Amino acid sequence: MTALLAANKDILLFTAIAAVKVLVFLGGIMGFAGLLTLAERKVSALMQDRIGPNRASVFGFTFNGLFHPVADALKMIFKEDFVPGRAEKLLFTLAPFFALVPVLALFAVIPFGDYVTVLGCRVDLQIADLPLGLFFVLAMSGLAIYGVFLAGWASKNNFALLGAMRGAAQMVSYEVVLGLTLVGLLMIYGSAGLQDMVRAQGGLIHGFIPAWGIVYQPFAFILFLTAAIAENKRTPFDLVEGESEIIGYFMEYSSMRFAAFMFAEFVEIILVSMLAATLFFGGWQIPYLYETGIILPGGLQLPLNHYLVAALQVASFSVKTVFFSWFLLVVRWTLPRFRFDQLMGLCWKALLPLALLNIFITGAVLLALGKL
Amino acid sequence: MISVKKVNNRPLNLLERIYLWEIGRGILVTMRHFFKNLVNPRGLVTVRYPEETLPLTGNASQRTRHRLKVRADGSPKCVACFMCQTACPATCIRIEAAEYPDNSVEKYPAVFDIDLSRCVMCGMCVEACPEDAIAMDTEEIPGGASSRAELMMTKEALLRNLPGEPSPKGAANRLANEYLRARGEE
Repeated sequence: MTALLAANKDILLFTAIAAVKVLVFLGGIMGFAGLLTLAERKVSALMQDRIGPNRASVFGFTFNGLFHPVADALKMIFKEDFVPGRAEKLLFTLAPFFALVPVLALFAVIPFGDYVTVLGCRVDLQIADLPLGLFFVLAMSGLAIYGVFLAGWASKNNFALLGAMRGAAQMVSYEVVLGLTLVGLLMIYGSAGLQDMVRAQGGLIHGFIPAWGIVYQPFAFILFLTAAIAENKRTPFDLVEGESEIIGYFMEYSSMRFAAFMFAEFVEIILVSMLAATLFFGGWQIPYLYETGIILPGGLQLPLNHYLVAALQVASFSVKTVFFSWFLLVVRWTLPRFRFDQLMGLCWKALLPLALLNIFITGAVLLALGKL
Repeated sequence: MISVKKVNNRPLNLLERIYLWEIGRGILVTMRHFFKNLVNPRGLVTVRYPEETLPLTGNASQRTRHRLKVRADGSPKCVACFMCQTACPATCIRIEAAEYPDNSVEKYPAVFDIDLSRCVMCGMCVEACPEDAIAMDTEEIPGGASSRAELMMTKEALLRNLPGEPSPKGAANRLANEYLRARGEE
């Protein structure tokens, strides 16, 4: 037994570290997604000069509404889990999983820090450092369409099916733009691994501008954010769901199955925020902070502990994620909804040509600089 | 004559058609509200009902919880004429009439129930009352209740006067006062 353990020490250690990373990272994301359900209502309330939910209390303590996600979850659990009589039972049950699982799987490739050395063992702060991480992201986000369409089709409801058709059309269209906006980054960084891309953003341009993706590709960032919001099916592109009026693909869903769809949407907000931070805003990088400490452009140096640097990097990534999540909430509560023809027109007539133009210009500049 | 209003929407200029600039302006507006309210929550317009209430303006105070007015001697002004019960479109009023043993002129309500769970707050009972005995001016808004029984207002709960009532000189009390004077009991 001990011999077996000793022989497989590396594998066991790797598994243990990976399990801890999965638990901590995914646990944090789940908790944050729960808080986002509250944040969405609180942010919208403050934007509209209201208070927002603040009544749920535990032993009389409300903490200004902090317990509302718990109350929501309890309510969802105790609601009736209804399946329409003519629905495809198996697919109807599977659809929420198809919506939630690909999104959660995507977090495996997102680097939330550089690395820490624990007891002489180097731990990468990323669950799986895939060399083709960016393509994994695009492939998995393409799978989310199954959740939408199966939900609409399996519930055997005409309106749900129409919602699913709208959703499928929208997601397929914006998938294309999403992929093309990232080609420019691929050309600049020369790698599709997300950790490599983040490391490549650690340098400085002209000695003082941080070499983040937004500096190289500001145009691609706007296109990416637009396409990502559409892919995420949020306002102004939420006519797939149109919760209050036109009813989307999950109209036959109730109880925790419905909660799974809603939860997937909030997890996707975090995902989009993390991707925006990773690809365009330096991921866990902090300007002028290096492995050994802070080195300012003037030559001023401040050496820092290795663990402190790692903690700062994770904190930086968290702050960027929270900022973009908040920004997406603000966008959602600011803009009115697109019409379906406007949606498709925006994608195929505006975003797609612009994305191609961006690739062309990036390629031309790289060629002129002799870096291609 | 139906008038036609022509809306002359001017065509969007280039900056507006690009849409991004206008999005930025819109986000600035919402962000300004967000941060203003985050820093100083006193600007919020929410009223924390039922802990806080707004003062009722105008005739809104005449559509609040019912009451039955009381005469100076403590008897109800209501003479159990069933006018309000007849006028009520929601049939939420139930009256049972009874007679005073020493008074052959008028009756009084032995039972006067208003089922607030059915009441539509239309004020027809107040309009119909010939004695000005029922009023909806308590400025209390019937709130939620956890049982139907809590929303059943009986005569005992309804009978009350507002501060300053009853006035012996008030026009509404004139008939009652005349009656009392005739009995020599004023």
